Amino acid sequence: MENEKFFGVNETNITTPLSQPPLSFFKSSQRPSDLLLPSNNCFLNLNWENSMDHQQSAQFESALSSMVSSPTNIASSSSPSQLPSREDSFVIRELIGRLGSICNSGSGRGDICSGGTFSSNTSCYTTPLDSPPKLNLSMMDQQHGNLPHFPSLVPLPTPDPGFAERAARFSCFTGQFGPEMSYRSTTNTPRVDNGRLSRVSSNKDFGLEMEMRSGFNAVSRSTTPDNAGLRDESSALSEQIPVDDEANLKGPRKRKAASKAKSKTSAIDDANNSNAKRSKAGEAVEANGTNSINTEGKETKNTEKVVPEPLKDYIHVRARRGQATDSHSLAERVRREKISERMKFLQDLVPGCNKVTGKAVMLDEIINYVQSLQRQVEFLSMKLATVNPRLDFNMEALLSKDIRGSMPQLSGVYPLDSSAASGGAFTYVHDSSPQQGPPQLQNEAAQYFVNSSDPGLRLFPLDGFGEAASQFAAFWGDDLESVVQMGFSQNQSGISIDGSLPSAHMKVEL
Amino acid sequence: MHSKTLFKQDFLKKWVLGLQYYGCSTKEMSISERTKAIKLSSDVAMASCRDGKTCWSRAVITDASKQGENKSLVRKILGNEYEKLTKYSIRSLVCNKRVRSKKILRKSRKSRPLVVLASTVIAKRMVNKRTRMLKDLVPGGDSIDDSFLLEETLDYILSLKAQVDVMRRFVSASESLICK
Repeated sequence: MENEKFFGVNETNITTPLSQPPLSFFKSSQRPSDLLLPSNNCFLNLNWENSMDHQQSAQFESALSSMVSSPTNIASSSSPSQLPSREDSFVIRELIGRLGSICNSGSGRGDICSGGTFSSNTSCYTTPLDSPPKLNLSMMDQQHGNLPHFPSLVPLPTPDPGFAERAARFSCFTGQFGPEMSYRSTTNTPRVDNGRLSRVSSNKDFGLEMEMRSGFNAVSRSTTPDNAGLRDESSALSEQIPVDDEANLKGPRKRKAASKAKSKTSAIDDANNSNAKRSKAGEAVEANGTNSINTEGKETKNTEKVVPEPLKDYIHVRARRGQATDSHSLAERVRREKISERMKFLQDLVPGCNKVTGKAVMLDEIINYVQSLQRQVEFLSMKLATVNPRLDFNMEALLSKDIRGSMPQLSGVYPLDSSAASGGAFTYVHDSSPQQGPPQLQNEAAQYFVNSSDPGLRLFPLDGFGEAASQFAAFWGDDLESVVQMGFSQNQSGISIDGSLPSAHMKVEL
Repeated sequence: MHSKTLFKQDFLKKWVLGLQYYGCSTKEMSISERTKAIKLSSDVAMASCRDGKTCWSRAVITDASKQGENKSLVRKILGNEYEKLTKYSIRSLVCNKRVRSKKILRKSRKSRPLVVLASTVIAKRMVNKRTRMLKDLVPGGDSIDDSFLLEETLDYILSLKAQVDVMRRFVSASESLICK
């Protein structure tokens, strides 16, 4: 419905005088008469989380327990930081972004700010620029009219039982909402590119929710006596929000649904038909959910456990005006996701890669690592070739030694061995360069490797294998000899390290 | 961890088979030949340990068996699985041909006049360049998709690690034998 209109109004709100935005805003929410009250309300909502601590009664305990424990922490942590800024109306405008998130949490928005999603919210704190200010400003000027002294207002524990109920309701809808939102946070944090996209989404549905919440506030203020109707609204609103998240493929349909629910919520003023309305709203929500499920084809039935795709789809739809929903872009998205996942694995696998950000740099590291491993194989085979003048290895002795040496160790002290071995892999070339060392060191090692192995490859065809041992030193000079020496020293150091092990396989392992 | 150990044992067994093949041949070899032989046998052994599950192992095997003199080595190392694993050669050949044509395309595309580049374009180009490098490094990487390439790289790195580990043990063991 007014989604677009709302956004348009929203952007103009920033430039228009203070009293103007709330007017248009609440006109859209069909409660122009409650101009002063909703802002008041949303300001007081700051204390909801706090008041819950004092006022939660036994009947709301379940709902409150379903609420994530962190919102209270966040609210308590955010409210003090917010107090000084509230006193200064000019500072508020400058800190609009921050206040946007805070005001969000303060006005009972448990769903985005709840739990671990706080970080995601702060990450997108630049985006709510258009939506929160109107709340702030309206709050400001009306607060000036009503209650000139803010700080006294803020810590004020709300004696109104309706507040407790509302708080409980919000808590329950944060409870039903918590998983999804926290899920969003988990998807946001690991992926870098996701964060940027989610900003858009959170911005958009944030605005929508702001609208709806303010509508809710207006209605709630007017109908504070009948709490049942309020509950209906809150349930409708709260369930509207996941739909926004999920009905990502259907932008227009989503708007339609939003408007439907909106009209519904505005229609719900009576406590009498609350049950019927509630069930209707629930049905609408469910229908929307099934719609999104059908169109997605990837979503699970459980709306609280959303698969990563829908969220991103939603973002893309929002970003590209519903054009990127064809199967190609979906497949592309899946492919990109796969790539980033593999990249993460590789990051764990390749040493010195876990601090690197950026795909190109990471690929560089991976390439270096693969190259170094390949050169090690080359080098080792070369070493083996020099050690054994003919390829008739004394297999029995060797294998008995090798197996005896390596196998118990492989099965027994494997972690120690692997770390020592992989560490030693580099020390072959570069003396005692730690494996986890900076990438330059490894590059250096690889470089050194190239320098030392290339002339050898060129020169080796010249000499027969008989005099190889003598020519070996002459051709290679200090390079390989030092390398071999290093290998031996590595060997000895390995022995000294593994001194506690039986001597049978001391010589075998490095 | 256990599978890693098994992999190493398997690799060692197959590698020793390959080395025995060279040991049996009476022909005298230079150091470089021996180096090549050892490397080839270890590579083939490592690839055969993967049972043809991955692209790179199949590519290694097919590359090795392309050359006539190495065919018998590959046959010896692979044993019964020879027929099964070298079957893939046709497919990979086809893939290679396709890639060649792609390269030609790329060349022709390069002649386009350069526009002023955005940073995203530059970043994408950097990534593409490195991906191509990685494709050259990983055997059989020419013919596979990017996401698949990373998977292959993962597997390849793990196998290379195991190979290096086993080879180092082997080298040190033979060194200690000689020193005695």
